[in-house]
Amino acid sequence: MDSLYLAWQYVRFNKAKTIILVASITLIAVLPLALESLLTESERQLLVRAESTPLLIGTKGSALDLVMNSLYFDDEIPELMTMEAVERIHDTQFALPIPLYVRFQARGHPIVGTTFDYFEFRRLSIDQGCPLTMLGDCVLGAKAAELLGIGPGDDLVSSPDNLFDLAGVYPLKMKVAGVLAPNHSADDLAVFVDLKTAWVIQGLGHGHQDVTRTRDNSVVLKRADGNVAANAKLYHYTEITEDNLDNFHFHGDMSIYPLTAIIAVPNDEKSGALLRGRYLDRDDTEQAFLPAEVIDGLLQNIFRIRNVIDSVIAVVGLAMVLVIILVFTLSLRLRQREIQTIFRLGCRRAMIGRMLLAEIVLILSVSGVLCMAVLGVVNANAEELVRRLLMG
Amino acid sequence: MISIQNIQFRYPHGEFRLTIPEFSATQGEKVAIVGPSGSGKTTLLNLLAGILTPASGVIEVKKTAINDLNDANRRDFRIRNIGFVFQDFELLDYLTVFDNILHPYRITGALKLSEEVRQRAIHLAERMCIAGYLKKHPGELSQGEKQRAAICRAMLPNPSLILADEATGNLDPANKTRILDLLFENVDAHEATLVAVTHDHELLPRFDRVVDFQAFPSGGGL
Amino acid sequence: MKTVHQIVLGMILVFSSHVSAAERLSVYTVNYPLAYFAERIGDDQVEVVFPAPADVDPAYWMPDRTTIAAYQQADLILLNGANYAKWIGKVSLPRSKMVDTSRKFKDRYLYTSEVTTHSHGTEGAHAHESLAFTTWLDFSLAKLQAESIYEALARKRPMSEIEFKRNYQTLAGDLDKLHAQITAIVARDPDRTLLGTHSVYDYLNAGYEMNLKSVHWDPDEAPTVSRWNDLKHILEGHQGMYMLWKSEPLLESVSDLRKKGIESVVFSPSANRPDSGDFLTVMRANIGALALAYK
Repeated sequence: MDSLYLAWQYVRFNKAKTIILVASITLIAVLPLALESLLTESERQLLVRAESTPLLIGTKGSALDLVMNSLYFDDEIPELMTMEAVERIHDTQFALPIPLYVRFQARGHPIVGTTFDYFEFRRLSIDQGCPLTMLGDCVLGAKAAELLGIGPGDDLVSSPDNLFDLAGVYPLKMKVAGVLAPNHSADDLAVFVDLKTAWVIQGLGHGHQDVTRTRDNSVVLKRADGNVAANAKLYHYTEITEDNLDNFHFHGDMSIYPLTAIIAVPNDEKSGALLRGRYLDRDDTEQAFLPAEVIDGLLQNIFRIRNVIDSVIAVVGLAMVLVIILVFTLSLRLRQREIQTIFRLGCRRAMIGRMLLAEIVLILSVSGVLCMAVLGVVNANAEELVRRLLMG
Repeated sequence: MISIQNIQFRYPHGEFRLTIPEFSATQGEKVAIVGPSGSGKTTLLNLLAGILTPASGVIEVKKTAINDLNDANRRDFRIRNIGFVFQDFELLDYLTVFDNILHPYRITGALKLSEEVRQRAIHLAERMCIAGYLKKHPGELSQGEKQRAAICRAMLPNPSLILADEATGNLDPANKTRILDLLFENVDAHEATLVAVTHDHELLPRFDRVVDFQAFPSGGGL
Repeated sequence: MKTVHQIVLGMILVFSSHVSAAERLSVYTVNYPLAYFAERIGDDQVEVVFPAPADVDPAYWMPDRTTIAAYQQADLILLNGANYAKWIGKVSLPRSKMVDTSRKFKDRYLYTSEVTTHSHGTEGAHAHESLAFTTWLDFSLAKLQAESIYEALARKRPMSEIEFKRNYQTLAGDLDKLHAQITAIVARDPDRTLLGTHSVYDYLNAGYEMNLKSVHWDPDEAPTVSRWNDLKHILEGHQGMYMLWKSEPLLESVSDLRKKGIESVVFSPSANRPDSGDFLTVMRANIGALALAYK
């Protein structure tokens, strides 16, 4: 105890040296462990999400981009596909197709255009308000609602694609219908809308006064063959309300309307295999794959990178350890006079050893406690940290 | 109290040799050791303390032949019976004055730190007029105050023998006298024997005996 | 003892055949004919809900949020298809529970020329207002819709498939009879010109190869001058002696038409639940009225 007391007084008095030593040791201990924790959590999150998604269908191209956009709502938009693919899957009766259109954003949060089935598929439940009901409704993930500071009844405007593209996507004021319960996945940060609402955001659907009955000829370009062609003067509503909902409609063939991907939920394993088989033709413009396989491949790469990082950390750690040993050795030299004095006073060699060891033990203990505290914080927030990292 | 008989000492790496045919001091005696630098004065103190062991001869302190003890026993004997006062005080910067005084009790199992010891330390500090500095660190004290603290440390275990190596060497004249007074007071109070190496000739008359080291054969490269 | 056993067995059979409310499939529909078909096929295995008010045309009805939420919770949502219920395209419903009952004959959808479409710019695509949607008035198509309902119910409750099939076959027999009756009536005079007050008769007209032309008149509104002109224009090339109405017209309209030698008969599409009777009774009454028009 005396040696600990003396060691404590020594480290307290030499604060700067102690802090530097403690910080250095904590850092070399925390870095690999924290990295391990974050990587393990990344693996878990990526895999859990991927494994819970049976089949993903999209346009041929980067499978990883497709997975990241569809499962984690990454803002890298894959090649688009069309609604017609959904009908084809529906006709096979092998699986329930859940279309996704993840292209737009609202105040930094991805807007996920999908159908009502998505919520049951992902086991998302409403915590406040109600689910998507009408065109123009949106439902927020728990974290999105918290960060945006809005809830049921509030408005949320979609972000324009490009401020300078006047012919592009216009902002749509959406009504927050509900907020989801926390799901601890990318869904928590998303803004969910009906697929049709996403198409309205894109401008494929819109609302305006009934030009077939209007008496305002200034908005009419031409009347012929049972059709009224309106001109650009016709005002399009920027908000969908219960009063103007009737005026909203879509133009053209909806089977060619765009999607980013389709989640296919097979009725059973055999149906899944049969459905997947339909996309094996090399000439097919679409691909179907298991997201878990893609993520597994990604994790293999991460694992290789982790090995490299671990090696680098090990080398740096070794250098740090050598430096720490040097610091203790130099410290010992600085205390040589003290050691001589206590030797002359009658201190046994073992006690001298214990005193010096006590200093090391003390510093290591403090570092250990700090390390555990930091790791505790990292572990407690790993899920959130990783989710934000994955979401970008 | 102290008896040295025919000791021959030689450092392992070096040419210095010290031969002391005979040296003694009685209980309560204050002996000053004088001599030129390199003559072996500090070596004598280290031999008396058991820090060094002679190649031959006998060194007795309190009728104990300390050169016959093993290293551990010598250290224990030293810390219980011998107090050291150094020229450079040798206080530990990172301990308070109070902890410095109690220091011998923390570096050995041969002495037990108790509440009684703490009280004695406080009384000692009061006698040395440094009770007000007990919570300060040595860096905050004057030279004289530091040496007083060092004397308290040396006296606290109630040693029978005090070895002072140029205890007033780094003090100004006023402090030299004052420190010596305090040292003598405490030595007398404990009925201890004092062997002090000094270059201060004006202080010599205050000692009971002065031993000139030129009388002892020594040599070497010092 | 034997009597006791028989009584106990009888009670078991009675109770096992009675499906509790909690076990019945909740089936929501967008019009009455589909509700009727679902009730006939599902029997006590289903609880059929058709929530549109009786005085609102279901094709143009917009349910409130509470009603939409009820649709979302249903086990099955039966849609007519052919863009019938306009509100479907403006709400969120689970596709997994939706059944497009006219999907089997979507290649036979009819486009009505009576609706004016619109586009944006001269090259813009048209909005989808121009599909005719009263598919069930062609009873061969109604039978296909009923078959879709039977298949959907069987998928939901495979253990009752035999019962559903039996009920469907009975219903199909009734629809076949209606089909045969109309076919026979029209066959009396295939070129008989008829008039209709609404595009609801498009499938009736096409399915039975009638010679019917429609104006856009409402039974509870007196036709305007413009509407009379439309009729006059049609009569120039198509002299019809009978006008089919969705429901009982105003006496004034009947009287004015009679002055022009046109008699009025009611052929109700029965999109809403009738005040009395059911789909079959309404259709039989319709056929009776049609027979009159082909006399």
